[in-house]
Order: sequence, then C-alpha cells, then structure tokens
Amino acid sequence: MDLSFLTVQVLSALRQAAFLFLISSGLTLIFGVLNILNFAHGALYMLGAYFMYWITLYIVGTGGFLLALVLAPLGVALIAAVIETGLLRRIYMQEEIYQLLLTYALVLIIDDLAKIVFGPEFKSIPKPDVLSGSVTLFGGTVPVYTLLVVILAPAVALLLWYLLHRTKTGKVVRATSSDREMADALGINMSALFTLVFAFGAILAGLGGALAGPARTVFPGVGTEVIIESFVVVVIGGLGNLWGALIGSILIGSLETVGIIVFPEFEMSLIYLLMVAVLVVRPWGLFGRPLKVKALSEKNLAMEAQEISPVHFSVHPAVRWAPLLLLLLVPLVTGRFYQYLLSQIFIASLMAVAFNLLLGTTGLLSFGQAAFFGVGAYTVGLLATKAGFGTLPALFLSPVTAAAAAAVIGFFCVRLSGVHFAMLTLAFGQLIFTVAYKWYGFTGGDNGIQGIPVKPISIGGLAGIDIGSNQAMYYFVLLVVGLSVGLIRRIRSSPFGATLKAIRENGQRASYLGVNVKLYQWTVFVIAGAFTGLAGGLYALMEKAISPEIIHWTKSAEPVFMTIIGGIYTFVGPAVGAVVYIVLNSYLVAWTEKWALVLGLVLLTLVLLLPGGVVGFVNEKARQILGKSGCIRRWSFSKSAK
Amino acid sequence: MVILEVRKVVKSFGGLRALQDVDLSVAKGEIRAVIGPNGAGKSTLFNVMTGLLAPDTGNVVFDGEPITGLPPHRIIRKGIGRSFQITNIFPRMSVFENVQAALFSHHGTSRNPLSLARGFTRIGEEVLGILEQVGLAEKYDLSASVLSHGDQKRLEIAISLASRPKLLMLDEPTAGMSRFESRETVALLQKISREQGLTLIFTEHDMDIVFAISEKIMVLQQGAVIADGTPAEIKANPEVRKAYLGEEVTEK
Ligand SMILES: Nc1ncnc2c1ncn2[C@@H]1O[C@H](COP(=O)(O)OP(=O)(O)OP(=O)(O)O)[C@@H](O)[C@H]1O
Ligand SMILES: [Mg+2]
Repeated sequence: MDLSFLTVQVLSALRQAAFLFLISSGLTLIFGVLNILNFAHGALYMLGAYFMYWITLYIVGTGGFLLALVLAPLGVALIAAVIETGLLRRIYMQEEIYQLLLTYALVLIIDDLAKIVFGPEFKSIPKPDVLSGSVTLFGGTVPVYTLLVVILAPAVALLLWYLLHRTKTGKVVRATSSDREMADALGINMSALFTLVFAFGAILAGLGGALAGPARTVFPGVGTEVIIESFVVVVIGGLGNLWGALIGSILIGSLETVGIIVFPEFEMSLIYLLMVAVLVVRPWGLFGRPLKVKALSEKNLAMEAQEISPVHFSVHPAVRWAPLLLLLLVPLVTGRFYQYLLSQIFIASLMAVAFNLLLGTTGLLSFGQAAFFGVGAYTVGLLATKAGFGTLPALFLSPVTAAAAAAVIGFFCVRLSGVHFAMLTLAFGQLIFTVAYKWYGFTGGDNGIQGIPVKPISIGGLAGIDIGSNQAMYYFVLLVVGLSVGLIRRIRSSPFGATLKAIRENGQRASYLGVNVKLYQWTVFVIAGAFTGLAGGLYALMEKAISPEIIHWTKSAEPVFMTIIGGIYTFVGPAVGAVVYIVLNSYLVAWTEKWALVLGLVLLTLVLLLPGGVVGFVNEKARQILGKSGCIRRWSFSKSAK
Repeated sequence: MVILEVRKVVKSFGGLRALQDVDLSVAKGEIRAVIGPNGAGKSTLFNVMTGLLAPDTGNVVFDGEPITGLPPHRIIRKGIGRSFQITNIFPRMSVFENVQAALFSHHGTSRNPLSLARGFTRIGEEVLGILEQVGLAEKYDLSASVLSHGDQKRLEIAISLASRPKLLMLDEPTAGMSRFESRETVALLQKISREQGLTLIFTEHDMDIVFAISEKIMVLQQGAVIADGTPAEIKANPEVRKAYLGEEVTEK
C-alpha cells in the first residue's frame, strides 16, 4: 500500500466522518437536553442541502458560496424553532413513542413538501471554481472540497466545545443534559433552553446538509438514509454524549471507507454489525450512561381509562362474531380487488396486533419487526422454491425460523430499555436487511424471490385443496390470521399477559413480585416475532414474490403507525389501524402522489389530538356515556369472584 | 431462630461509604426497626438485602441460604417481601389488578403464556381477601393512580403481602400518611405479624411508632451501626441520645 493511496483513503474517511459528525452532534445534543430522539434530523439535513441549492442558484450565486453556507443552516434553524415551539413543545409530557412518532410524521411531511417545492429529481449544487479543483498531497489527488470539509468540521467541533464549556448558556446546557431534575430545581428556563438547543442542533444538521449537498447530491428522502447512519453513530457513541458522537463518526467513517475496499458487498452490514457488537459489550454505547426511567406523567395516567374500559362492558358474543361472519361473506359478493385488499389488511393486522403485544402490553418499542416479517417470508419463499416444500410445511416453519431469530436478537435487546431498545432492534433489523439485500447466492439479493409456488394443501390423505385463487387465498389468510389473533388475545388476557402489563407499568416493582422481568420480555419478544414471521409467510404465499424491501426499517415503522392510529392501549386498535393505513394507502396512492404527506398529517393530528388512537377515543367516549347513564359501575369480574 | 443475617456489609457510592461493616441479625417473628437520620444508609441497606444493589463486601443470609448478589426476583421467591420509601405500585392498573399480578406471580400461573384465565376466580377471592386486610376492598376497581397517598402506601403493603413472604421489609411504610392513617397501618402490621408469624423489618422516622411496636431497634449513622438492642437499651444508650435521638427522647 503506497502513501498516495493511503492519503486518499484517509481523507475520504475523514470527509465521511466530518459529515457524520456535523449531523450527529446536533442529534445527540438535542437528545441530551430534550430527551427526544429526533427522526426529523435527517429531514433538517435535507433542508440544509436544498436551501444551499436554492440560495446559491437564485440569491448569492456560486460566488457567494461561503455566505450561502452560513445562510442555509440559519434557514433550517428558523424552521426548527417553529417546529419546536409549535409542535414538539406540546408533547414533552407524553411517552417516548409519541415524540418519536411526531418527529417521524415530520419526516414524511417535510419530504413530500420538498418534493412539491423542489421537484422529485436529484439536484446537484454547483461549487465555485476555487473549490472544484484538486490538489496533490503525498502523491495522491485530493479534491479541494474534501480539504474544506475536513478542516471545517473540526473547527465546528472546537467551536462547540468552546460554546459548551466556556459560555454560561453552554454550561446550562451541559448541566441540563446530565441532570434534568437538578436543572429544573435550579429554575432554569426550560422552554427557552429547549427551543435554543433544538434550533442549534438544527443548525448543525443544516450545515451538514449544506456542506454535503455539493459533494453528494440532494433529493427528497435523502434524509432517511442519513438519519439511520447518524442513529448508528450516536448510539455507538452513547446517546446524548458529544464525545461519543465524535468518536462514533470517526469509527463509522473509517469503517465505511475500509468496508468499501475490503468487503464491497457487505459494507453496510459491517456498520450494523459494529453497532450490534458495541451495544452487546456496552449496552449504553461507548460513552453513554443508563437513562433514568421517566416517571409517568399525568397525561399518560389519563389514558388508563382506555385500557380499563373494555372490562366494563363485556361485548355481547353476537356483536363480537358478527364481523367475522361478514368477512366470511365478503368474497361472495366482491371482486378480486377487495379480496386482495382485505387479505392485505388481515396480514397487516396480524403484524400490528403482534407488535402491540410488545408496545402496548409490555411497553417495549421494537423498531425491527420487519426483520421477523422478512425471515418468515423468506422461509416460505426459499423452502417453496428451492427445497420443494409444500405450502403448509413451509408456512408452518415461518414462525419457527422467525422465533429463532427473535430468540437470538431478543436475548441482546431485552437488556436495554426505551430508546436504546428501539435502536438495537433497528440495528439488528437493518443487519438482516443488508444481508438479504446483498446475498445474491442465497436470498436472491435485491432481485428477491419470484414465482413462489402455492401447492394445493393436503391434510392427512385428504385430497389437495387448491388455494391458488384469490378467493381461496382470502379464506386461507382469514383462517390463519383469525386463529393467530385469537391466540394472541388469549395470551394477552392470560396471567402471563397481566404480568406483561405489570412490567410495562413498573418493571422494578414487577421484579419485586418475584417476576424475572428480562425473561418475560424475552418470551414476549419471541412470541411477537413468531406471529410476525407467520404474517410474513402468509405474505409470501399471497404475493408469490418477495423482495428485501419488506425487511427495510421503514417497513418496521408500519406496525408502529397502525398501532398509534388504532390505539396503543386497546386490543383491536392495531387491527383497526391496519384497516385505516392500508385503505388510505391503496386509495391515496392511486389518487395522489402525496401519500406520505397525508399519512404524516394524519399521524401528526393523532399524536397531538388523539394520542389514544381511534379505538381508544371511542372506548373513552362510550365509557363516559355509559357511565353517566349508570349502565356500568363495577367490573365484570365481580360476578365471577363473588 | 435467626431468619435473616447480614454480615459485615460494605457499600460505597464513589467515595461515599453508605454502609460500613453493617451486621444485622433478625429472629423469626421479630419486629425490627432500623432507624437513623436522613442519609444514614437505611434504604441502601434494604436495597442490599433485597438484591437491588450488590454489596462491595459482606454477605446476606436468609433462612440459612446465602442470597448475596442474587437478583431481586430470586430473593423475593425465597420469601422476602418489600415496600419502598417512594410509593412503588402499578399506576395504570386497578387496585385489584395490582394485587392480582402479585398473586399470579406467587402461584406461578403467570409463567405459561397459554394458560387460560380460569384460575382467576380463586385468585380473585384471594385478592379481595388481601384487600380487605389492608382496608382497600371497597376501592378495588379504582385505578391505582387515583388513590390517595395513604391508600397507595397501603396498596403497596397489600402487593408485598400477596406473595406470602416470611419476611417483610417496609421502607417508611407510614411516610406521608396522616396520624390516623399511620396508627391504622401500624396496627395492621402488628396484627399480621402476630397472626402469621411474619418477620418485619421497617424504617421509620416517627419515634412514637418505632418505640411502640418494635421488639428490637438498630441505629445507623453515616453507614455505621452505632447501637442495636431492645427499645429500652436504645433509649438508654448515650451515643444514640447524643448522635440522633437527642431531645426527642428526653422530652418524654
Ligand atoms: N444509587 C446511589 N448512588 C449514589 N449515592 C447514593 C445512592 N443511593 C444512596 N446514595 C447515598 O447514600 C447515602 C445513604 O442513602 P440512603 O437512601 O440509604 O439513606 P436513608 O437512611 O434511607 O435516608 P432517608 O431517611 O432520607 O431515606 C446518602 O448519602 C445517599 O445520597
Ligand atoms: Mg431511605
């Protein structure tokens, strides 16, 4: 290896690290002070790049490049300040999931707005001549722009250090991020501080975008790629820790550069592998500390009404079975489109209901459910196409392999909680995604698997039942999903389920009941993984083709959306959410390209106005009305107990 | 017969020695108070005894078995119950469900995800029985989060009792209660101890209560045991008088 090659590679690694640091330093700063993991940080990065594009093109010209480099981040900060004061501020008291979701909704909205304003195509930002050339350094050719980036980022880091350690506000910021309650007690003006820090974090993201834009390109949705990388950086470094972000950026930047040379196929897998490895050894990241468990706030306590309510009025069996009867009749009167749409809804419902066993019941936010869905789908796809398995044996094995994957992944994840748990499940999920995406020899890589045969089902000598037709598939999916959801319901209402709820409410107290909390969490993680795998298996049979996109982390967000739409603390909520989500999706996609914008607005509205979801809202209203009329007072168990 | 034995336990937080060579020996059926000024290390001792913290050195023996360093859930299963200084319940569950969860765990019904809700009736009666004992039976269907502070404390005692412990540790069971409520709670604890032969270890800042019900008292100060004996001995101990009780005792 000669010096010129080394120089070029080192500088390229440093450039990558510099971009990563600019973005993740803001992310980690915001997390440290506001305790919010800002999904929209990638979108702010994108805005920085677009503003840069717009300002250099229409206002200052390429000659004012450096001026634009200052103006673009300030524009982003302005938008961030509006977001913080107008939206985020209203949900600081809510549980983490709502904060994550709000920032996620912002991603959807900002991405689509960017598409509307700037167009869907890739934009490249012109650099002034001085910055376009290259110089020779130790025999290697290095772009001048790379040098600028590599010098500017450490300068920003120094400035940050200075601001945090030498100014009064900086000291307040550091105090707040190390001890929130203490800062509260000292009478620090939290809301002003929050706005300031959020806007400042946005400046860093915007600067990252403005600086990276001319080197890379910018397009709507570019933030989605960036944000995951920066999550990896800040989680490896330790959430909320600026040093961690710096070290994490250098680690990831170097790994990406080395990875491209040594393992070009699995470069992305390496990153997630590193993240998993770090979190396995140091669950809170290299420089992180365990987070304090947040006390439940008043608002959250109010939501309890929604969960208790179903116990108050036991639904008449006729009412409960009527929908099922209706679903049995539907295919007789509708065409293929509705049969297919409903089958999709069934599968999504199974995934969402299984997911809510984790989120709503146990209080675990998994952001890697798509991995189990994918494992199940690929199990069926591979067994049916390559090993000649029959339909039922292949489908039967899909929850088994998914459960096995969940057992391994869950073993590491349940040691963490809250956002850390979410991030580790995300990393494992992405690890599986990148492997499936690149391993052409086994999974078919990004081509996926086509032409999955659906052989007639024969049960014990019975003649084969063909489920190849849309209608037969509908009934088959309905049967499998119906049985599964029934089983999940039983699990949830079992003493095991009651214990999960206790763990969600207060893990420490639960362990003082003699409950091995981690074991229960692991068990429910495996159970949810198995059902998710089964949903994936059904999906493979129904679609007869699969691609790695079904494992991508954005797919893991879907059950989260469905659950929040329907109602986190209700059993049927996630299924209702699945209906809303799939129906909205199918109709809106046909009708407008702005599906993400609509979804984002729906989520935003729900998070702000109806955090209990549609079903939660209905339950609460029903309880109020029935309660006033005196229909319900005591719980139903009293009949059996007395 | 000794049920709990703490030997030479040391626990430091950074430079702070929260417990220094603490010894404690509690007989079966005894009511034992652990007292000391704020920050003396009482809660830390409870945390070490119930596995929330591992001691730096020293060990804890319960019922003849070493339990040092075991996780809380294993210790609880051996027959220790505990309530916390800051109320520790399941806020968004009903009073009934709070105690029910404890019983599910105690009876082992919660381990099987597929077990039906069948055993609920029997357990339901048991729950109501326990709630009756602590005087919360009427409020069984309220959400635990809406209970008064005193009721929440009592609920926590009910939760701890549900796992039928041989030894119950109560960290300031009457903190924040009205005088009337405290009396009631103390009477309840005494009654349970007498009827069921339950061993009680508790911390308390109200000296009237301490001297009224304890059979033995241990005094901690800055992590060290400065006295351990019967109420009479403690009252007479000059070091305790000087260091801690001071005028509170001489007043009487
Ligand atoms: N987890 C911890 N980390 C660091 N220091 C701790 C921790 N827990 C307790 N301490 C310190 O150890 C000392 C003993 O605290 P402890 O809570 O045991 O006192 P206590 O006797 O229960 O006081 P109180 O009557 O106020 O409840 C105190 O100085 C406290 O600040
Ligand atoms: Mg204490």
